[in-house]
Amino acid sequence: MLSSNPIKKSLNWLGRQLFNQENPAAFFDPLVTPINPLWIRGFTPAQVQDIITETADTKTFVLKPSNRWSGFEAGQHVNLSVDIDGVRYTRTFSLSSTPARWAEDGTITLTIKRLPGGLVTNWMHDNLKAGTVLGLSKAFGDFLVPTSVEPLLFIAGGSGITPILSLLETLEKDHYRAPVALLYFVRTQADVIGAERLYALRQRWPAFNLQVVHSQEDSKPVYLGEQHLDTIPGIKARLCYLCGPKGLMDLASDLLGKYGISDDRIRVTFFSAPAPVFTGESGGLVTFSRSGKEVEADDGKALLELAETAKLNPKYGCRMGICHQCKCTKTSGTVVNSLTGKVSSPGEEQIQLCISVPQGPVTIEL
Amino acid sequence: MIKLTNEQLDALAKDLDAIRDEALADLGERDAKYIRKILRLHRTLEVGGRVMMPFGFIPPVFVAAVASLGLAKILENMEIGHNVMHGQYDWMNDPALNSQTYEWDTVCTSDSWRRTHNYEHHTYTNIIGKDRDYGYAVLRLSDDQKWHPAHSLQFINYILLTVFFQWGVGLHELETEKLRSREIRLRDKLPLIKEFFQKGGRQAFKDYVFFPLLTLPVAPIVLLGNAGANLIRNLWASTVIFCGHFTEQAETFTEEECEGESKGHWYLRQISGSSNFTGGLWVHILSGHLSHQIEHHVFPDIPAHRYREMAPKVQAICEKYGITYNTGSFGRQYMTVLRKIAHYSLPDRVRLKLQAA
Ligand code: FES
Repeated sequence: MLSSNPIKKSLNWLGRQLFNQENPAAFFDPLVTPINPLWIRGFTPAQVQDIITETADTKTFVLKPSNRWSGFEAGQHVNLSVDIDGVRYTRTFSLSSTPARWAEDGTITLTIKRLPGGLVTNWMHDNLKAGTVLGLSKAFGDFLVPTSVEPLLFIAGGSGITPILSLLETLEKDHYRAPVALLYFVRTQADVIGAERLYALRQRWPAFNLQVVHSQEDSKPVYLGEQHLDTIPGIKARLCYLCGPKGLMDLASDLLGKYGISDDRIRVTFFSAPAPVFTGESGGLVTFSRSGKEVEADDGKALLELAETAKLNPKYGCRMGICHQCKCTKTSGTVVNSLTGKVSSPGEEQIQLCISVPQGPVTIEL
Repeated sequence: MIKLTNEQLDALAKDLDAIRDEALADLGERDAKYIRKILRLHRTLEVGGRVMMPFGFIPPVFVAAVASLGLAKILENMEIGHNVMHGQYDWMNDPALNSQTYEWDTVCTSDSWRRTHNYEHHTYTNIIGKDRDYGYAVLRLSDDQKWHPAHSLQFINYILLTVFFQWGVGLHELETEKLRSREIRLRDKLPLIKEFFQKGGRQAFKDYVFFPLLTLPVAPIVLLGNAGANLIRNLWASTVIFCGHFTEQAETFTEEECEGESKGHWYLRQISGSSNFTGGLWVHILSGHLSHQIEHHVFPDIPAHRYREMAPKVQAICEKYGITYNTGSFGRQYMTVLRKIAHYSLPDRVRLKLQAA
């Protein structure tokens, strides 16, 4: 491969000269899209192959990424881009399938629950069809299988099971020797995601101890407590993995601490984007991620001014919303357009600094 | 410019904002489909033109190749590049259509364009002394600017500007008039000059070196054809732009008039300083919908294909406030531009006599 790199580089240089694009191959995207969308170069395409209903509000989407996709490790996440009514939205999801499956038939799965009020998850449930092509990022995340063999405890809640399904099947396939326990909290039996896979694992993997806890089955809700943790043999020596709603994760970290398990033995991952913080009033902490600066938002002040008070020099022109010179990426948080009064979505998007007033905490790439 | 009271100006702003909000709320699939269709058409025309060009030794193929490449450049510059850089499609979150990173197929760097056009021209539209697009610093088009004997030859300047339009636009930000008057130093412009040579070099390399050399035996034909395509684009782009602001009735403004102006005043100035021309669907598309220059100046960041449907509403509002809505056939508007260039090349005394006659 030694010789291909300079060739690739010079072709890329030439392409940039000819097509005025940083990614010259993407120049042909509009032409190849109708022929075979998996040839798209502007992003890494992945085609929906199948959609499987897991529970009333959870579906598994089977995707086939293009050959360019670089693969993943069990427990990792991807950013998925979908076009909804002309707008591209990007959200993070955990991969619920194993790398072994991807190596075998080139498919991966994302298991996604409808978020109440969530634009993207609901759209995916209602509109996504086999054959649709989505954008897939590189896999990322460090919620990975342990490097040495030791006893493990997984605590999952709801759809937080998804990366853990991938981890468990990978461990089993690698004939993991040490004991592995899973405490899985679901509202009722009908809410168990990946039930078949979990029960099959229990069947063929003697080291695996599965406990499904129904938290809402009785009139009195059941919370994680010592009565669950005490059933795990040798819990103090276990490496712990937590994934679920924030309440459960906080509770679990607390309890595990009481058992003398130190923080560096507890691995945590968020299974879904944190809920949008929309306070309805302006103000909040503004973080400028590139420069590492922070300012407290001043009532009603637009981000351009706030950035300037933080001694940053963002590009601007008209300062009145016409020229778009002040466009920046907002990675998280909600802003209000001071001209139209429109409230932004909580995710990543382009905003005009001069007419965007933060509402609650906001992070800007600046 | 018609005089409106502050209350009227505020009401005007409200009326126009309502049209804008209505369009914004409706943005979606339709706009995405439209711009992607145009992108596809552009790629088809460009690839088609480049492939046909070496066979240009057959005369009809030559004509088709030049037309195809010329149209591709026009579409890319006017309906895609110009509009994308205005942020008309930023809401789609598609990095390929991002206003701040898009680089277009012309000599002027997108960065320079975003400063001189999106900011200066669209903020200070037709304010003599502040909008450097007014006459591009080589034409005198208003008596706010003093006559100088050199102006008598400005028709030649005009011809040169329109033929080499992309190079003129590329150097526009150099502000040669300010360099000459020593208002700024050449040193301040060095980064710009460097970028100009980089981008200009890239454009010249592809059209005049790379593609001709690629098909060496027919290099002269390819060279000629590519030059022809660039020329077509230059003539069309400059003509469309001139028809947008330099027509007989497009007004100019002084700095004093506009100091601390309200949103309503800004709107009024955008309408009074711009002019539309009529034509079929393809005239609109190939002009990047600058045939709706008025709507473009009032709503610069709304997807331009919507100007066609917004125009009747804008026109109705103009009627309501008694604002002139300057429109006419392409030929008629262009004639008034040529007349204006000719008239203002004359000393005021002669011009006034001529206009009175
Ligand atoms: S500075 Fe012109 S839009 Fe923000």
